[in-house]
Amino acid sequence: MRPEHWLYTIPLRLRSLFRWAQADQEVDDELRDHLERKTEEYVAQGMTQEEAHRRARLDLGGVEQTKEKCRDARRVNWIQDFIQDLRFGLRMLRKSPGSFVVAFVILALAIGANTAIFSLLDGVVLRDLPVPHPDQLVRFGAHVPGDDYAALSLPMFQELSRGQRVFSGTFAWWGDGVFNAEMDGRLAQADVWCADNNFYPELGAVPEIGRLFNADEENLSAAAPAQVAVLSYGFWERHYGGSRDVIGKTLKIEGIPFTIVGVTRKGFTGISADFELEVTLPLPATQLLEDEPDLQKYLRRPSARWLQAAGRLKPGATLEQARAQLDALWPAIRQEMAPTDNAIAELGRFRELQLRVESGAKGESLLRGRFAKPLYIVLAISGLVLLLACVNLASLMLARAASRNHEFGVRVALGASRARLARQMMTESVALSVAGSVAGCLLAYWASRGLAGLIAGEIFSIPAAPNLSPDWRIAGFTASATILTGVLFGLAPAWRATREDGNAALQQSGRTLGHGTGALGKGLIVTQLALSVVSLACGGLFIRSLEKLRTVDPGFHTRNLLAVGLFAKPNAYKNLSLVDYYHTVTERVSHLPGVLSAGMVRTGIGNILENIERVRISGSDTEGLEADFEMGTPEFFETAGITLLRGRNFSWQDDEHAPRVAIVSQNLAEKLFPGGKALGQRLDVMNARNWRNLQIIGVVTNASLYDIRKQKPPTVYLPSTQYVDFMESPSMLVRTELPPAAIAGALREAVESLGREYISSIQTVRQSIDRSILQERITAMLSAFFGALALLLAAMGLYGLMACAMTQRTREIGIRMALGAERGRVLKMILRETLVLVGAGVGIGLPCALVATRLLGHMLYGLSPNDAVTLACVVGALVAVGVLAGYLPARRAMKVDPMVALRYE
Amino acid sequence: MSRPSDLVQGTLDMLLLKFLALEPMNGFAVSQRLKQVSGDVLQVSDGSLYPALHKLEQEGWITAEWKTSEYGRRAKYYSLTRLGRRQLEKEADNWGRLSSAISRVIKLKEA
Repeated sequence: MRPEHWLYTIPLRLRSLFRWAQADQEVDDELRDHLERKTEEYVAQGMTQEEAHRRARLDLGGVEQTKEKCRDARRVNWIQDFIQDLRFGLRMLRKSPGSFVVAFVILALAIGANTAIFSLLDGVVLRDLPVPHPDQLVRFGAHVPGDDYAALSLPMFQELSRGQRVFSGTFAWWGDGVFNAEMDGRLAQADVWCADNNFYPELGAVPEIGRLFNADEENLSAAAPAQVAVLSYGFWERHYGGSRDVIGKTLKIEGIPFTIVGVTRKGFTGISADFELEVTLPLPATQLLEDEPDLQKYLRRPSARWLQAAGRLKPGATLEQARAQLDALWPAIRQEMAPTDNAIAELGRFRELQLRVESGAKGESLLRGRFAKPLYIVLAISGLVLLLACVNLASLMLARAASRNHEFGVRVALGASRARLARQMMTESVALSVAGSVAGCLLAYWASRGLAGLIAGEIFSIPAAPNLSPDWRIAGFTASATILTGVLFGLAPAWRATREDGNAALQQSGRTLGHGTGALGKGLIVTQLALSVVSLACGGLFIRSLEKLRTVDPGFHTRNLLAVGLFAKPNAYKNLSLVDYYHTVTERVSHLPGVLSAGMVRTGIGNILENIERVRISGSDTEGLEADFEMGTPEFFETAGITLLRGRNFSWQDDEHAPRVAIVSQNLAEKLFPGGKALGQRLDVMNARNWRNLQIIGVVTNASLYDIRKQKPPTVYLPSTQYVDFMESPSMLVRTELPPAAIAGALREAVESLGREYISSIQTVRQSIDRSILQERITAMLSAFFGALALLLAAMGLYGLMACAMTQRTREIGIRMALGAERGRVLKMILRETLVLVGAGVGIGLPCALVATRLLGHMLYGLSPNDAVTLACVVGALVAVGVLAGYLPARRAMKVDPMVALRYE
Repeated sequence: MSRPSDLVQGTLDMLLLKFLALEPMNGFAVSQRLKQVSGDVLQVSDGSLYPALHKLEQEGWITAEWKTSEYGRRAKYYSLTRLGRRQLEKEADNWGRLSSAISRVIKLKEA
C-alpha cells in the first residue's frame, strides 16, 4: 500500500512545491467558480445580486482563510517557510558578516577535524575490503596458542578444503616478501605474493589489461612452476609508466625470469587493507623464491606451515558454523600431518596447534593494530572539541539574538508564533552548520590524506595508504555531526526567542541594556571552559607521555648511530663465505673516515620488529623464560653502546666449528643464575632450530632492543658467525659523528664495491625509535592540536562575553570613574568577574578531566593519569586566558572618557 | 485544519469519497449534494469542504481535472482513484462495524 501510495502522492507534493503559484491560481479559480454558482443560486431564490454575493462569501467562511486552509492541505508550507527563513537568514548575514565568518570558520574547523579523524578511523579500522561481499570471507590457519603466526601446510589446506561444507570456495596464498625485482635492466624492490588458482576469482579480481593466471599455471601437480607474473596497477604505473606493451615483458625476481601476463585493476588490494599486491606469482613459484630443488616434494611437506588461507561462506552460512566445522576436522588432520620424528614435533609444539578461524572481511592491516585505539581516543577528544564549538557558537548566536530583540519583538507583535521564531533561529544555525561542514569536508579531505600519508610513509617501505574514499559511514557521520551541531547551537537562541516579550522589546530603543549575557550566557561560557579543561588535560598528558618516551634511555646509543639496511643483489650469496664477507665489510666500513665502529646485527635495534624466544638452563625441564633475542657480529656491542660487564665478547673465531656460545643481559643472568654465577653456565634457546647447551661467555648491560616502552627485558645474544643462514641481508650498525647524509656516499661505495649487496636504507637509530613510537607521536600531535583549538575557542568565548559586557557597561564604568573610582579598582572588579568564571569552569572541568583521563591510563608511558604537572599547566593556561580575556576589554572600557560615556545615553 | 464539530472524525472524508464514487463532480455540486442528501443534519460549511477535498487529493484518493461543464463553464471536477476506492471500502467497513456496535449498545434494555 505505502509505496503505491507514494507513487500517487509524490508528484502531487512536488507540483505543490515547485508550481505553487499555479496551484494557488487553481484554488482561486475553483473558489471563484464556487462563489459564482452559489450567487446564482441565491439570486434564483430571489435575492438581489449583492445580497446573494454576500451570502455566498459568508457561507465560504472567508475566502482568504479558506485559501490558506487549502494551502495547508497541500502540506508543503513548511518547505516554503524554510526557504523564506533561509532567505531571511542570508539577509541577516549580509548585515553582519563578521560574526558569521567567525562562526563559519569555527564550524569548518570543528566539523572538518572530526570528519578527518573519522575518515581515518573508517579507513584504518572500520572499513571492509573493497571486494564483493567481504563479510563472507573467513580466514583460517593453525597456530600455537599465544602465538600470532597462523598458517597451514598445503596438504593441511587441501584436507580442510575437501572436508568442509560451509564455504563455496577456499583459497590460499603465500606472502608477502620483499625481493629484488629487475625491470628492463633497472633494479628495485618489490612486494611479492604467490596466490593459488582460486585467489583471484574468490576475491572478484578482474584484469585491467592482459589476464590473470589460468589453471595450467596454477597446476599444483606440475613438475616445475610456470614463470608468469601479474602486476598491481600501482606497480605498473610506477615502473612501466602504465604502458600497455608491458604484457609479455620479462620481470626478474631474484634473478629468476617471469613473464608478465596481466595487471590488476586500480584499488585491488587482495586481502590486504593497506597496500596493493605489487607482484603476484602462481603459488608453485614459491619453490623458486625459496630455492628448493624439487617442486612436488616442496609442496607436499605435510607439517611446514607456510600458507595463508581463507574461504568464502556459502549464502546463509555463519562464521560460527565455519569454526565448528573446521574445528571438527582439525584433530584428525593434525594427527595425520604430524612429523614422524617426535623431537621435531615437540619443538614446533605441533600437538598444541589449534585452528584459528576469524572473519576476513576487513583484511590484513598493520595499521589497524597500532592505530585503532589512538584513533578512537583522538576521535573522542575531537568530538569534545566539536561540542565545545557548539557551545561557543551558541553563545555567539545568543549575543546576536540579543541584538535582534527588536526584530523579534516586531515579529511577535505582527502575529508570528513563538515556534515560528524558534524555527527561524534553527534554520539559520543549521544552514550555517551545513555551510561550515561543506568547507570542513574539503579540509577533512586534505587533512585525512595528509595524516594517512604521514603514517603510511613512516611505517611502510612500499607505497601504501588506507582507503579514505568517502563511503556511507563517513557521509552519515558528517551529516549527523552537521545537523546535530546546527540544532545544538541553535537551541539556546531559539529558546530565547520563544521567551521574547513583544511589548518589552518594542519599547526598548534597541541598543541599551541588552541582557544577552545573562545567566544563560555565563553558563555557556563555564561549559566551554570546563570542556577545554578536559581536552587540554588529555592533550597535555599525551604530550608529557611522549616526552618521557622520547627521553627514556633504552640502554644503547641513540645518537650518532646509524642503522644501515643491506640487501643482497640477485644470487649474491652463491659460493660465498658469509663470515669472511661480513668480516671484510665491517673492516672496510670501520676504516672509513668519520666512522668510529661498525657491526652487523640480524634485526636491528629500536625497531618495531621483535624477536622473542624462550630460554632455559640446559638440562632443566622448565617451560623456559621469555627473552628478547638478537644475533650480532663481535663489534655489535661496542657499536651499539651496550657494555660488557663480565667475561668476554664474541670474536670472529666463534664460527660454526667452534663451541656454541651466548652472551646474556645482566637481568637475564640474575634470573637464570642468581648470585653472579652465570659465566660458564649453559642455556638452551628453545626455538625450532633446537639450540642447546650454549655456553654463557659474557654478561652485558640491560637494554630495550626492540620496544623502548618495555623496561629493558631480559635479553640473550648469539654470535651470528655461528648461524650462517641467519647472516644474510643484515642490518649494519655504524657509529659515526658525521650526519647520515655526509657519510651515505662513502658507505654505499664501501658496500657496493664488493659487488654483493647494496644499501636499501640509511637511518639513524633515533629515526627508527621515532618510527616505533609513531602512534604515540600521532596521538600527542592530534590531541595537542585539539587541546589548543579547545583553549582558543574557550578564550574567544570568554573574550567575546567580556567584550560584550564591557560595551554594555560602558556607562556604568563611566559613572564609577566619574565618582572617583580608580582605574586599578575597576580593572580588579572586571578581572575578578572573569576569574570567577574561569574558576567555575576549572571547578567543573577538573573532576570531569580526572574521570576522562583515567580511561587513558593504559596509553600513557611513565605517567599517572592524574599527573599533577599536567593538571597544573592546564589550570595555569586557563587562568592566563582568563586574565587576558578580562584585561583587554577592561582596558578599552577604561580608556573611555567618563563624560563621553555618560553623554552617550 | 478545522472540521465541522458535529461530524465524527474522518466521516467527512468518507462521505466525500462516497459522493465521488457515484459520479465525478465539482466542488459546488458536492456541497449541493451534501445538503440534499443529509438535509440539515450534517452541516458542512463550504469553508470546510474545499480544504477537505484538497486533502483527499493530496492523499491520492481523488484526482481532479479541469473540465468544461454542461453550461460551457470551466470547473474543477473531482473523481475517485483506485486508491480512493480502496480507502472508501475500508472506511465504510469501519463505519459499519462502529455504528452497529454503537447501536447494539444503545439498544441495551435497562433493567
